[in-house]
Formats: sequence, C-alpha cells, structure tokens
Amino acid sequence: MSDIKEISPNTLALFGIIGGLIGIYLSPLYPPFTSTFGALGAICAVIWGAEAVRRVAKYGLGTGVPSIGQIAMGMGIIAAMFGLAIVKAMPLAGPIVSLITASVIGFIIGWFAQNVIKMKIPVMIRCMTEIAAAGALVIIGFSAAVAGSYDFTRSLIPLVFDNGVMLAVFWVGAMAMLHPFNACLGPDEKQKRLLYLAASTGAITMAIIGIAAVMTLGASGVITLLLGIILWLIFYKKFWDEVYKDAAAVVGTGLIPKTEA
Amino acid sequence: MVLDLTMSMAILALMGALATIAGCLEDLESDVGSQSNPNSQVQLAPQMNFLHRIYNKAISGEPISNGLSAVTGGIVTTVLLNAKFFPLLAIVVGAFIAAIIYGIFATTSYAGRVASQTRFKQPLYMDIMRYTTPSIIAHNFVVCFCLVAIAYIQYAVLGYPFTIPFLALIWGISVGAIGSSVGDVHYGGEREFQNREFGCGLNTALSGRIVRRAESGLRNSIDNVWFCAKFGGPATGIGLGLTVFFSSWPTTIWGYTWTAIGVGVFIVAIMAVMNRLVEIQVKNAYGPYKEDKTEKEAGA
Amino acid sequence: MVAIDPTMLMNIFLIGISGTLICIAVHFIPVGGAPAAMAQATGIGTGTVELAAGSGLVGLITSSYMYAYEPQASMALVMAAGAMGSAIMLASTMLAGGLIYAYGVAVPFASAQVKKDPITGQRQDTYVSKGTQGQGIPTICFVSGVVGAAFGGAGGGLIYFVLMGIYSPLISASAAAVAGVFTMGVFYVNSVIPSYGVGGTIEGIHDPKFRRVVPKDTITSFVVSLICGLVAVLIAGGMV
Repeated sequence: MSDIKEISPNTLALFGIIGGLIGIYLSPLYPPFTSTFGALGAICAVIWGAEAVRRVAKYGLGTGVPSIGQIAMGMGIIAAMFGLAIVKAMPLAGPIVSLITASVIGFIIGWFAQNVIKMKIPVMIRCMTEIAAAGALVIIGFSAAVAGSYDFTRSLIPLVFDNGVMLAVFWVGAMAMLHPFNACLGPDEKQKRLLYLAASTGAITMAIIGIAAVMTLGASGVITLLLGIILWLIFYKKFWDEVYKDAAAVVGTGLIPKTEA
Repeated sequence: MVLDLTMSMAILALMGALATIAGCLEDLESDVGSQSNPNSQVQLAPQMNFLHRIYNKAISGEPISNGLSAVTGGIVTTVLLNAKFFPLLAIVVGAFIAAIIYGIFATTSYAGRVASQTRFKQPLYMDIMRYTTPSIIAHNFVVCFCLVAIAYIQYAVLGYPFTIPFLALIWGISVGAIGSSVGDVHYGGEREFQNREFGCGLNTALSGRIVRRAESGLRNSIDNVWFCAKFGGPATGIGLGLTVFFSSWPTTIWGYTWTAIGVGVFIVAIMAVMNRLVEIQVKNAYGPYKEDKTEKEAGA
Repeated sequence: MVAIDPTMLMNIFLIGISGTLICIAVHFIPVGGAPAAMAQATGIGTGTVELAAGSGLVGLITSSYMYAYEPQASMALVMAAGAMGSAIMLASTMLAGGLIYAYGVAVPFASAQVKKDPITGQRQDTYVSKGTQGQGIPTICFVSGVVGAAFGGAGGGLIYFVLMGIYSPLISASAAAVAGVFTMGVFYVNSVIPSYGVGGTIEGIHDPKFRRVVPKDTITSFVVSLICGLVAVLIAGGMV
C-alpha cells in the first residue's frame, strides 16, 4: 500500500491478547479500585480488533464495514458468556477459555465464509478468528470494569446483565472496533491515524463504561470515567494531528478548488 | 396488561407520537451529516473530480449509529434513575450526553474520511465542521430523547421484561433501519441528483456526479436538510410511528390471542394493497420507458 | 450435567432451527443496498444486516412482552407474536419507502429480475429506466419482504422462548436479560452470514440469486446456530 512502515499484525495481536488478558486479570485484585484495568485491557483489544477489521474490510465485503463489527460482537458475546460460565470451579481460567472459544467460533465462521459461501478473501479465516477473539476480550474487559470482577453468576449477571449495561458494552464496544476503519475509509487510509482513532474510540467507550461503573461500584467508577476522558483527549488530539498532516488541505472556509470537471 | 384499556391506548398514542418525532428527526439528522447509503455518492464525488462542501458523516450505517446514541442515552438514564433523579431530567441528561458523544464520532469520521482522500485534493473545510456538527448533535438529541422516553415508558409503565438500555437499543436500531430505508431515498435519489431527468431512476453513469450548487451559493449539508425536511423526514416519521403503534395495537385491544395475530396479518395485507395502489398510479404516471417488441410489431 | 438428554438435544436443535429461520429471512427481504437509495436498483435502500436485525428485534420486543404476560403461551403463539411485530415493522417501512420512491423521487416500481410480476402479472422490464437495475418496491418484493420479516421475527421469538425455558429455573429474575443478550448475539451472527452470501443485495424470492445462495447460507447458518445452541445449553450448566 504505502512505503510508510506499518506495525505488523502479529505485534498488534500480541499487544491485544497480552494487554487485554493482563488488564482483565488485574481487575478483580483489589476491588473496586483495580477494576479500571479491565477497561484499559479492553482498549488494547479494541486496537487489535480495529487493525484486524482494517485488514479484512480492505477487500470489500459487499455489505459495508459495520457488518464485520456486528458479527464479531455477536460471536464475542456468545463466547464470553460461555467461557465465563462454564468454568465455575476455577474462575481464573474463564477469560482464557472465552478467548479460545471465540477463536474457534470465529475460525468456523471464517472457514464457512471462505469455503462454503466462497467469499474469496484470503485473510478471511485469520481475520475472522482475530476479530472474534478481540470481541470476546473487549466484552470481558469492559464488563469487568463495570462489575469489578469477571465471575459470571456472582458479578456479571447482577451487575452487568440485570441493569442492561451489557448492551452498552456490546454495542459501544462493537462501534469502537469498527468505527476506526469505517471513519478512515479511502484510498489514502493510514495505519497510524487509524490506530490513534481506535485508541480514542476505545477511550470514549471507557468513559461511558465509567458512567455505568459509578452506579455499580460507586466512587471507583469515577476513576474509570476520568481516566477514560483523559485518554480520549490525548488520542483525539493525536488523531487530529495526523489529520492535519495527511489531509490535502485544511482550510477555514473557501470555494471549491478548480478541477477538470 | 397492567392498565385499563383507555389508559393503555393513551400510552400507545403517546409512544406513537414520540416515535413519529424520533423517526422524522432521525432522517433529518442523517441528511444534515450525510450518512449511510447516499453518503457513498458524497464519498465517490471527489474521485470523479467533483470536490464538494458536504459533510461526510460515516459513523457506520444509521441503525448502528443510532443504536449507539440510544444505548448510551439509556445507560446514562439508568444510572441517573438509580441515583433517584426525576425521570424527565434523567432522560434529558442521558440524551444530551449521548448526543455529545455522537457528535464526537461525527467529527472523527468527517476528518478521517477527508484525510483519506488526499490524492483527489478534497480539502477539509473547518467552517463546515464547526456549524454542521452542532446541528447533528441537536438533531440527535431529539431522537435520543424520544427513543429513551419510549424505552422508559415500556420499562416503567408497561413492564416489559427488558431494561431501558436494551429497549432503547432496539428502537435505535429500528429507527435507523427505517430512516435509511425511507428518508435516505429522498436525499440520495432526489436531492443529491436534482439535475437528472425527472420521472426515472438514476442512470449509473451519473454516479458520483452530485449537485454541488445550492439555491444560492455552494451547497452544504444544511441546504440538504432544508430540502429533505419537506418530505423525506416526515415520511420516515410516519414509518416508525406506524411500526410502534401497530406492533402493539392488536395485542392491546385483543390481548394475547390468535385473534390479535390475525388482526396483525390483516394490517399487513392492507399495507400491501396500499403499496400496490401507489405502484399502479406511479406506473401510469411515468409510463413504460421502452416499447415491447411484439407490441410494436402488432401496432405496425 | 447429563450428557445426552432428549430435552437438551431438542433445545439445541430448536436454537439451530431458529438461527436458520433468521438466515432464510434475510434472503426474502428485498434489499438493494446503496444503489437502491439512489433509485438505481430494486428494493429497500439499506443494508441487509440492519434491516433484518431491525425488523427481527421489533419482533423480539413483541414476543418477549407476550412471554412475560402470558407465561402459558404456546411456542407457536410466541413465534407468531414475533412474526407479527417484524412483519408490521417491515410493511410500514416499505410502505413509507414506496411513498418516497413514488412522490419524492418519481420512479415507477419495477423489478429487473423478472419480466412479469408473479403476483400481479404486470410487465416489469419495460418500466426499468435507462442505466438502472430496476427501482422501487413492486408487489412481489413487498410480499416477499413481509414473509421474510415474519420468518425473522418467528426465529427471534423461538430462540427467546427456548432460552427462557432453559434459564428461568436457574436464574429466575435475570433470565430475560441473559436470554435477550444471547438472542441478540445469535441474531447478529445469523444475519451477517447470509449478507455475505448474497453480497449485499437481493430482490426477494423471485431473484435467481435466491435459489443459488439459499442452500449454502442455510447450511452455514444451521451449523453455526447449532454451535450457539450447544453453547447456550452449556452456559446453563455453569449457572447451577
């Protein structure tokens, strides 16, 4: 695409998986003050997912970019619920089981898309797997930030499902992953700008989750909210710096430049 | 059924009215920011050397973006209700925060999409950014207020089993689906290509060649919403109002029985007949475009 | 947890069926994507995924309300309630959309895939204007769309019914929330898969594409939904 050096998909995948899991595992340590780490881990997963969406959606899916974000969260939420619920004896294994389940479901859907529906997108299977796994991590991370822990029956059901926060995690998380590529779509799309935007949408999601956490966890939710807003300010500014650098011209106002048409 | 019949009909009418307002404003909001399918033409225009001064609000498709704002509004409202705020205040504050976040998403997509079109020399107009974004936020505030209010009524008064964010999200998705199916056609089919021949579909050869001059001066997104408010918006409002009203009306009157289902089927049949009447009228008005070969021979 | 239990297998199978219903529904709904929004193609001017989801979820609202207030309601009645809600949503959308096509954009409704409308028998090809793939929503598309939406709503109602049956005894008060979220997940997976199959646009049951893509999309959806059903049953095992 361009001669500018891009961060490789493998690096970002490692960043997403390790960052996401560390954040999730740190979240229940000293409740409720460490719950913010869940949201930080989810932001790592959002960045990874956004990059995976970018790679697969470049091929043109026929239904627009958003559909892949929706299917990712659909798979992610099923896998996350499964992984966290099934391991009642050892809750520590929950996030990893969810990650693996999501990858398996993503792989199956990717395989069917490639070989049965015949979409002819070479990176389909790999990206579908990555997107589903990232979706599961995003959901667990943000849920843990709201509930203070990732224990399914004791924390998540009363604190995340009953009050409907899950829907915000589901939907806003999907937006955070699919919006960066959708908003930067075009022939001169650049990875750096997209990743800054992914961090910024992830941070907005974190701020919304922070508002919800004020209800469920009290004062410690404010930390998530404020940290989310600060992160958002930083990355939003960085995104705009990139826009000023990349755009053909940023003008206050003016007529349409003359072209041949 | 927790209410008597008169009261449930009153609630249903209120919900229908809120839905009509929400549908109308949703479509106008998607026109003022240029979103969803018609936006593909705005996106394509610079590539055809048609540089323009129209906002490019690609916050994904309308159902998803409206779902985003509705679910955010629903969450904030739930938090405030939990803190014992008055419902009306909670809904207003929730809708306001949701609309602000929606506006932030809008700015990133306009800036991001234009920055990705560098090779076509499309400039990023900051004055468009400055006066269109508040308009997007204002429109979205009204939409979000109405949707969360519907969700609140369904949750608190009618006792639906789902929570406010869930119901708000579903209505957000529905309003977006209806807005992009109904009102956007007015924006995409008519307003963007007002210079095409009247009474026929848009020739594919014209794709991307959007109208860039307004009634006065250069056209921007505010001019588009002025035009679409005359027909596209209200029609969308009718679409969502009918949906909300008729999806609950049969069960409100006849209870949860097969009779109610039968009435629902009857309503759908009437709508199909109405669509057929419109089809007949419009086919006669604009007539066939080409004569049939066998008919021509017979005529000769 | 008993490994092989007829009720459990039945539940998994029913979830598989309901996912497949949603998948089939997407094929029935006449969606023209971006070209339709510019009156360049027949159908509703939006994306397949969201229209199916939008109508199906309205069906989920009506069927969940019915389930909440008529707990003895039969499975067929819950499914019918969902179907009715979805069909009314899509019918109102298509009617209002038709008004815009007729009086806002001024195009006669015409299908580019068939010569004569199978229901009204009216000629279609002569009404397709130059440089387009048909425009508007002719009667066959309208009917096909309503039928499709009914399938989608019935599918959504069925998953919800089955999941409520599984979860209610375990987590009584929270069952609706968990079942609703899970239904939404299954809904999105099953409405995106066929969208990839049809490539974003389809006119409805009369479209030649319908016969071409329905079998493979249905198989994909059925397998994926069976996995979802298995997962749903296993989640219940973790709740005890």
